[in-house]
This record gives sequence, C-alpha cells and structure tokens, in this order.
Amino acid sequence: MTAPWWWLLLALALAPARAAAAEPPLVAALSQGVVEVTTGFTGATLTVFGSTGEPIGPGGDEVVILVRGPTRPIVVRRKVQVAGLLWVNGPSARFEHVPGFYALAATRPAWQILPEQERMRHGVGLDALPLESRGARGPAFRAALLALETERGLWSEDATPVEIRGNRLFHATIALPATVPTGEYRVEVLLVRARQVAAREELGFWVNRVGAADRIATVAEVQPLVYGLACVLLAALAGWLGSVLFRRS
Amino acid sequence: MQVYLPIAEMSVDALLLVSIGFAVGWLSGLFGVGGGFLLTPLLILIGIPSPVAVASGANQTLGASVSGLIAQWRRGNVDAKMGTVLLVGGLLGSAAGVQLFGLLRRIGQVDLAVALFYVVVLGTVGTLMVMESVRAILRRRQAVRRRLHEHLWAHGLPFKMRFRKSRLYISVIPPLLVGFAVGVLSAVMGVGGGFMLVPAMIYFLGMPTAVVIGTSLFQVVFVTANVTLLQAVQLGTVDIVLTMLLLLGAVAGAQFGAAMGARLRGEETRALLGLLVLAVAASLLWDLVRPPERPFSIGPAL
Repeated sequence: MTAPWWWLLLALALAPARAAAAEPPLVAALSQGVVEVTTGFTGATLTVFGSTGEPIGPGGDEVVILVRGPTRPIVVRRKVQVAGLLWVNGPSARFEHVPGFYALAATRPAWQILPEQERMRHGVGLDALPLESRGARGPAFRAALLALETERGLWSEDATPVEIRGNRLFHATIALPATVPTGEYRVEVLLVRARQVAAREELGFWVNRVGAADRIATVAEVQPLVYGLACVLLAALAGWLGSVLFRRS
Repeated sequence: MQVYLPIAEMSVDALLLVSIGFAVGWLSGLFGVGGGFLLTPLLILIGIPSPVAVASGANQTLGASVSGLIAQWRRGNVDAKMGTVLLVGGLLGSAAGVQLFGLLRRIGQVDLAVALFYVVVLGTVGTLMVMESVRAILRRRQAVRRRLHEHLWAHGLPFKMRFRKSRLYISVIPPLLVGFAVGVLSAVMGVGGGFMLVPAMIYFLGMPTAVVIGTSLFQVVFVTANVTLLQAVQLGTVDIVLTMLLLLGAVAGAQFGAAMGARLRGEETRALLGLLVLAVAASLLWDLVRPPERPFSIGPAL
C-alpha cells in the first residue's frame, strides 16, 4: 500500500493554494481517469482522495464515497422441485438498471453517519439501491441478488474505510475485481455534517479494454461474420499445426 | 498465470485452461469424439458464463477435431464418402436444431431441456456401448467367431450406395437420418456430437470401428464450424482467447490420444468411452436431483 501516499503528497501540495481562495467545503479527485483492461488484467485498485474545509473525523465532518458501475438488466431465478424429483428454474424476477459494480466506503459505517431517510435518498448502502423488479414478487429475490453480487466481489459496502490524514485529508482505496464490467463509472463523494449531506462532488472514470483484448472484442461486436470466420480458421489452423508439431510415426 | 478473456469479460488461470484442453484433447484423439460433452460442463464449472462456454467449446472442438482428423486421415481411417453423406444430414439437422433451441428459449426452459437431453442421450448411449462392448469382449474370450457382415433391417432400403472404406453397400437413407438426428442434438446440446455419432455408426450403420472414429471426426469438424459461425454471428459469445488456450493443450493431447487409441482394441476403447459417457450422465443427473446449494441464480436478462 504505497501508492496512496503519492496522492496524499499531491493533495498536500494543493492544500495551501486552496486555503487562500474561498474555502470550498470539499475537493476530491481520482488516482486515474481510465482503468485499462489488458490481456493480463487481474483487477485493479483505484484511489479516491481529497480534502475538506473543516476537520474530519470523530466529532467533525464525515466523508462517504460511492462508486457505481454501468447498469444492466439482471434476471434472478429461483429453483423449484417438480414432481418431487428434479430441481428446475421456476419463478424469476427481472431487475432493470442493476449496477455492475457498487462500492461504498466511509469514515465510519454509513448507517452511523446518516439518518435512514438521507441514506435512502442518496443511495448509500446496498439496502438503499433502487432495485425495481418485474415478475415474481418477494423480498427473497432482492436478497439473493445482493448476496450473489457481493459474493462475486462486484458489490461491497464498508469493505475498506476512508482513511483520514492530518484531519483534513482523506483517501480510500477501491478494489476492482477482474470481472468488472467495462464502461463508465460514477464516483460520488459526500461530505456529511451534522447528519446531513453538506457537500457533494461527482467524479467519473472509465473501465476500458485496451490492446489485443479491445481489438478482439471490437471485431466480435462490429463484424461478427468476419470474427466467426476468423475463429473457425484459427481453430482449424491450430489443429493442423498441432498435428504437424506432434507428429509421431 | 492469469489471462483476461475479452468476450467472457473475466480473468482465468491460463495453465488451468491448457490442462483442461490437454485432457479433453487426449480423449478426443483416443475415442474420436470432440469432447464437447465434457468440455462445456467443465468450463461452466470453473465459472465461464454458459453461453460463452458452449460457443467457445464448439470452436475448440473444431480445432481439436481437425488435429484428430489429420491423425486419422494419415492412418487411412476416414471414409470421406460416408462422411459427406452424414454431413449433408448433419447440416440440415443443425439448422432444424437451432429452430428447436429458439422454441425452447421462448418457453423459458432451455436449462432444463439441455440438462435432460444430456442425461437421456448420454445415459442411453453409454449404457448401450458398455453392454455391447462387454458382450463383444466375452464373445472374444469364448473364441466364437463373429459374423463378418451382419444384415440389419436398414440394408433393405432403396438408393443404395457403395462405401468402399466402410466395406458397406447400403442405402443412403440411414446415414442421412443419423447425420440429421446428430445435427439436431448437437445444436440443442451445443456439442460436436461425436459421442452420439460413433455408436450410431457402429450399431445402426454397421461400420467397422477402425473407420468410425476418423469418419465421425470428419463430420464433427464441419458441424462445429457451422455452430461456431452461427454463435459468433447471432449471439457474439465465441471467445477466441479461451478457444486458443484450450486448443494449445488439446492439439498435443489429441496426438497422444490417437497414438494410444491405435494400440487399444476396438472393444476396450468402446467400453471405456461408454463408461466415461455414463459417468458424465450420472453427474449431470445428480445435479438435477440433489437439492441445490443455492436456491437462486442470477444471469443477464436477454
């Protein structure tokens, strides 16, 4: 964990210049604007850092950081037993606009910082995600979605705390697993004062495929017929090459 | 060594994929089956999304079968004429199978249908193969000579054609039907279909075991090429990085398998393949019957 120190130094260097001007209550930035998914991608970490006008920490202001990935529709299916023998997919619920990634970090657990109503309004916490479902009813489907996404490491809350240095600087490390969807991510930094959201800063970054991984995915999407033919030829070529290389008389 | 799969959008251990490829390729060379019926469940087991596993599995089966086909061709074990007749049926069958798959999808029970298809087809084929080969082994022990040429009911149909390599003079209708049926099944189950084709050729068409393996590979190569193209164009689920890693192991495995298969007797080979097919069927049946660990599953909405 050496990387965040660089950003803290940067933040420190910026701090005096800022103090002279009108004091903004909250300034935040990201360690990078683009997370590159290469062929060797095994996940990445992203640092959210910034500083506040008033002291943060116990008794003072609090900082809440939310990271949301691109949304997609998800179907949750429940297995049921038919004829007392086979387990098959039974009722299903369809959730629209499910974030492909969600991470919450805060100086203290979010439910201690914000009143329930505020927390719901800002979507702070997995239970505050606005997940509307169609199809089968029942809270179990929503609970299963939460459990399965958390298990895959795509959703997390309070996994790592927002750390405070010198009572005005903060930083948090967000871990992106290898399975993160590509697309545009939104980062929301909330400054909480007296159990109210006092300031808010919105940042964004992209998770992009680059290099060979990107070219392959692009060709597959834009020219599927060419891609399919290439797959057939490459596989056949590999098979032929193998039979030449491993020829045993 | 972790590698990122661009279509599956996940990273997996490259060495694991190469090993899986080697094991499946070895079986492919040994038995003349593409190994799709083993590969697809294995890929799903290590966490590859099932549409990608099915499509890339078909693509890898194509490569492995080319490798096996060349090895068999060199030994003169391919009846190209029979293969072509089977293929005509196979292409028609896979086109019909895709329609059936679409229908199952509209009803909303693809998972169940595919699993049941696997259990029923693999179970039947496996049982038949084990029974027949055990009987053949016993007969050999008792030193009773087998008739050189058996007359099946299928031999009485019109449109007769001579298949020199297979030492058969039969109607083209049975091979067309076999090709068609295997084509339908392979489209629904997402496999090459060699494990169904091999027993069908032996028991239904009465072909000699030596040519059966090479000829079935001939058919599998073209059917999987068709499936790969269809999947890439319609669903965009073929992951070439996944395919190539699997193939890296598979092409080596196929050659070793083919060399070993040449040393095994036909009956033993069939008994082993039968047992393997039965084992896969049993494990799939167990998955359907046992209470699920997780009652819920999530997937992308289509």
